[in-house]
Amino acid sequence: MTEAEFQRLYDATAGAIAGYLAAVTGRRDVADDLLQETYCRLLAQSYSGSQSRKLAGMDALATRRYLFRIATNLLRDRWRSGEDKPFAEPAEAAQICSFESSIDIRAMLTHLKPKERELLWLAYVEGMDHAEIAAATGLGRLSVRTLLFRARNKAKRFLSQGESL
Amino acid sequence: MSVRDDQLRQAMRQYAAGIAETHTAPEASLIWFRAERRRRRMAIERAERPLRIMQIVGLLCALCAAGWLLYRSMSTSAGIATPWLVLTISGAFLTVAGCWTMMSASRKPLS
Repeated sequence: MTEAEFQRLYDATAGAIAGYLAAVTGRRDVADDLLQETYCRLLAQSYSGSQSRKLAGMDALATRRYLFRIATNLLRDRWRSGEDKPFAEPAEAAQICSFESSIDIRAMLTHLKPKERELLWLAYVEGMDHAEIAAATGLGRLSVRTLLFRARNKAKRFLSQGESL
Repeated sequence: MSVRDDQLRQAMRQYAAGIAETHTAPEASLIWFRAERRRRRMAIERAERPLRIMQIVGLLCALCAAGWLLYRSMSTSAGIATPWLVLTISGAFLTVAGCWTMMSASRKPLS
């Protein structure tokens, strides 16, 4: 991969990956670190022979999905190693006020588990289907369906409760 | 009132747009530079690996030779002529010291 190719790929995908990482970690400094590491890993793989051929054979969509996969793995590594806790403390539910315009998504995300946040983000913001989410997170398709169903219900329940406050 | 799917989707996309507006991702060139630096470091480590293995093998051989010579000199004082014994022990000592110096030098970070 040349620097110009990397620049094009980065311009096309960095915003989405940064948003995903910021939403799941709840911290911009951590999201920035993980974003850099995500692309560094992709570049490291592009240097090695077999991985390089695999990457060259990917289209834009597959590369994007692959980047989400790397980012998700980095998030999990970070939580497993206990380096930081996502969303230090849940935000106050009382902040949630009128629906549609100022619905408090951050508070809702805080209320969810990291894996649930990942799934909801990929499904609703990135518009991925179950198979794509499975590829991006390394989970099975059936697990994605079940976990996403639970996450969606949990999110809706939280938002409905907030709305009634 | 319960929240509908499309409402949740819209709200999450608004939130994502908000993040995108306020968040500036690091420069691509910075990441490229970082990856290049890491690649060079890994290439150096790969190139040094056989040398490091040989250093460890050399150190172990020298230690074994020194131990064996010490044992021989203690058990049979007349077994080996004194000048040869001194020469061999000195050689083994120099090899151990050389390996040790090389290993500690290669462990220092590159400036």
